[in-house]
Amino acid sequence: MAFPIAQRGLLAALILAGVASAVSGSIDPYFLDVVMGVGVSVVLASSLNLINGFTGQFSLGHAGFMALGAYTSAMLSTVVAPHLGWSPALLQWVFFPFSLLVGGLLAAAAGLAVGAPSLRLKGDYLAIVTLGFGEIIRVILQNVDAVGGARGLTGVPTHTNLFWTFGSAALTVYTVWALLNSTHGRGFLAVADDEVAAEAMGLDTTRYKITAFGIGSFFAGIAGGLYAHLKGYLNPGGFSFDKSIEIVVMVILGGMGRHAGVVFAAILLTLLPEGLRELGSRSVPNPFGGAAWSLEWIKDMRMILYSLLLILLMLMRPQGLFHRGERRRQRT
Amino acid sequence: MSTSLLQLSEVTIRFGGLTAVSSVTADVREGELAGLIGPNGAGKTTLFNLITGVYQPTEGRIEFAGAGTAGVKPFHLTERGIARTFQNIRLFPSLSVSDNVRVAFHRHLEHRAWESWLRSRRFHAEEAELQDRTRELLGIFNLERVQDAPAKSLSYGDQRRLEIVRALATGPRLLLLDEPAAGMNPSEKDELMRLIRFVRDRFRLAVLLVEHDMKVVMGICERIHVLEYGRKIAEGSPAEIRADPKVIAAYLGD
Amino acid sequence: MTEFLQQLLNGVLLGAIYALIALGYTMVYGVLRFINFAHSDVFMLGAFVAWYSVEKLGLPTQSIGGGLMALLLSMSVCAVLGVVIEKLAYKPLRQRSTLTVLITAIGVSLLIQNVAQNSRLGFGPNPKAFPALFPSQQLHFGTLTVSTHQLVVLAVALSLLGLLYWIVHHTRIGTAMRALSFNATAASLVGINNDRIISFTFGLGSALAGAGGVLYAMNYPSIDPLMGTLPGLKAFVAAVLGGIGNLPGAALGGLLIGLVETFVSGTRLSTFRDAIAFGILIAILLFRPAGLLGKLKVEKV
Repeated sequence: MAFPIAQRGLLAALILAGVASAVSGSIDPYFLDVVMGVGVSVVLASSLNLINGFTGQFSLGHAGFMALGAYTSAMLSTVVAPHLGWSPALLQWVFFPFSLLVGGLLAAAAGLAVGAPSLRLKGDYLAIVTLGFGEIIRVILQNVDAVGGARGLTGVPTHTNLFWTFGSAALTVYTVWALLNSTHGRGFLAVADDEVAAEAMGLDTTRYKITAFGIGSFFAGIAGGLYAHLKGYLNPGGFSFDKSIEIVVMVILGGMGRHAGVVFAAILLTLLPEGLRELGSRSVPNPFGGAAWSLEWIKDMRMILYSLLLILLMLMRPQGLFHRGERRRQRT
Repeated sequence: MSTSLLQLSEVTIRFGGLTAVSSVTADVREGELAGLIGPNGAGKTTLFNLITGVYQPTEGRIEFAGAGTAGVKPFHLTERGIARTFQNIRLFPSLSVSDNVRVAFHRHLEHRAWESWLRSRRFHAEEAELQDRTRELLGIFNLERVQDAPAKSLSYGDQRRLEIVRALATGPRLLLLDEPAAGMNPSEKDELMRLIRFVRDRFRLAVLLVEHDMKVVMGICERIHVLEYGRKIAEGSPAEIRADPKVIAAYLGD
Repeated sequence: MTEFLQQLLNGVLLGAIYALIALGYTMVYGVLRFINFAHSDVFMLGAFVAWYSVEKLGLPTQSIGGGLMALLLSMSVCAVLGVVIEKLAYKPLRQRSTLTVLITAIGVSLLIQNVAQNSRLGFGPNPKAFPALFPSQQLHFGTLTVSTHQLVVLAVALSLLGLLYWIVHHTRIGTAMRALSFNATAASLVGINNDRIISFTFGLGSALAGAGGVLYAMNYPSIDPLMGTLPGLKAFVAAVLGGIGNLPGAALGGLLIGLVETFVSGTRLSTFRDAIAFGILIAILLFRPAGLLGKLKVEKV
């Protein structure tokens, strides 16, 4: 009977976020940036976890939904907001969440549009379709000048603060948790385990899968909006397949379903590149005397190390850092 | 004339060049304990899949509780009252024993999914009630003691029983059992026979079972249908079937 | 009319290249039921090996002998690479879920791309000019202009396709490949060494991809470490279009995608021509997932 705890937890998280946000002026901006980036990653990873981890679908296009949310809310802020004549506080505290929501809803609609017809597809095929979708989004954004085209969209007001990121992260985690810890929600897991059996037990598997896509992409859209208003500019290249893979790795590392693990992995994998960057700008003292050894090569090797990590992870511990159990490969 | 719960009329299904089931006409009455037998490859599981809506017949008609099942999705048929178990046990391996049953109970929930997000009072009341019902059902079958264990950790016999319990949770009027005695020793089979009779009596439903073990089939079935190469070759009481020369020939080969 | 014929020729050439890459995807899928994401990067490496052999190893340009040497070298290196990747990264995962292998393939792909982009370990991220491998001349047939390079591409592609056909249908190892793709268990039971056939398949597919890379670079002489992504994806669409697992299908699919892309790039929609390939992919998977020549498998319940 965890009900009061869960909702109290959410409330506490939001209050904490508010407090943190209020004192954030005195915190180092770089650090703040990183922390907010972590929040965005948590939203992305949690939402993908619902689709990939809990419902057993395989989406490789999450960045596409993120892009839709990002561009939508950014366009609202740059095109619509200036005409409203509102005060900055009103813009940040009323208009901004509104634009996030619109972005999320658009992304959700796209998620339903992509999810619905693709549901007949299994494993590999669904992966490819979602990948294709993500790429189509990117290509379109790159070629439509109204949203900045290949040069990207600039001048997005930086409304994102600790409250919004932390709050969104808490909300996403709560949503996924609350959903899964219910009889209806257990259905997602059943569908992931064995669709045929789930269907035989009266579960509308199609509806479950579509719902997962819808909710998952909604939050991806929110994350996109947060991201847009954090960076202040958008580049379509940043929403490519690579980005989708980054999020997929977080879900896998976290254990494909183990929600706490996924959140932890999201935090870890967002901080890791920053850590490596830090390390790369330092140098190790040369024990033989002479010039210190630069660790700059670490910066270059970041993606190489990343891909090696991915391969090693799959070879040695595909169940991620936290165990949930793996579905055996189906041989036709 | 349909006082039959399930009525198959000239049901045929073809997969490309292969006719798996051919012009099968059969019925199952309310509360009846019926058997479906035949040599390997006769089309028994295919027939199950047709009844449950996994496959659609190429020709012929299937009616359940007076309504046709053509084009109806499997989960809708489950809602109408057809439940099944599988030849190779298909539990939800990553879910606990009680969760396996709990998801099957979902139809009885009044609250909508989004209310679980809100954690409304109704949500909590219904979840509590469902928990009780699950525990109760598991208790009847002596599985309450392992209710929190992962389903895949159960013994083979327990898993088979859990599959039946799960199917019962959907509140069926017709229960299809696909080779429930597979892999069991004689005393387990006796237990199973008792269990099936108990289930039929206690839950007031009809049972159609596919089985290879003749002792089980002859022991509990009131009526038996025999398939060979996708065609029905005989139907009758255990005594009639035992004596039917066509059935004997089918099993012994010719 | 000339315009049309010119486009047709270009489309066929592009299609032939896509076909070579698509065959690799489809062969691997046929024997392992798995999409090798790293295939497009082998394609890229094929181009780079040829470039390297001219720029660093001193192979002559503008010569038939030199060109053939570069081609063979690329194909060999790629074949070996394909076999190595399979042995190290995919073989240990044969019993694992599809997801795991897919992620591993993505990891391998990213690894190859990033090593290639690295200035220290690879070629650096900047595009390089691809040398003219074969003697290049413009030939005129009436109003049509055809370069010798284009003829070479056509000749090489057709020869390789013919060679593949011969291998698959007229050699023992080809028969073994086909047996494996129908039923892996049965194949091993009749004495086929599945592991060796799988390695061979990877090697063969990778060799074709390498050749594809060289031919592609001959037509579009600017190469960079990320050049494999888009053609790779399009070739994959081609494989699915033709029916994944189906060899003639992959060739047909490649041809169709090449033609569609070429004709589209002559119209106003040309900036979206990449998106068109994905659009086709989604359309096939939704309306005819078995592809043009493929057969849909019914799942046994």
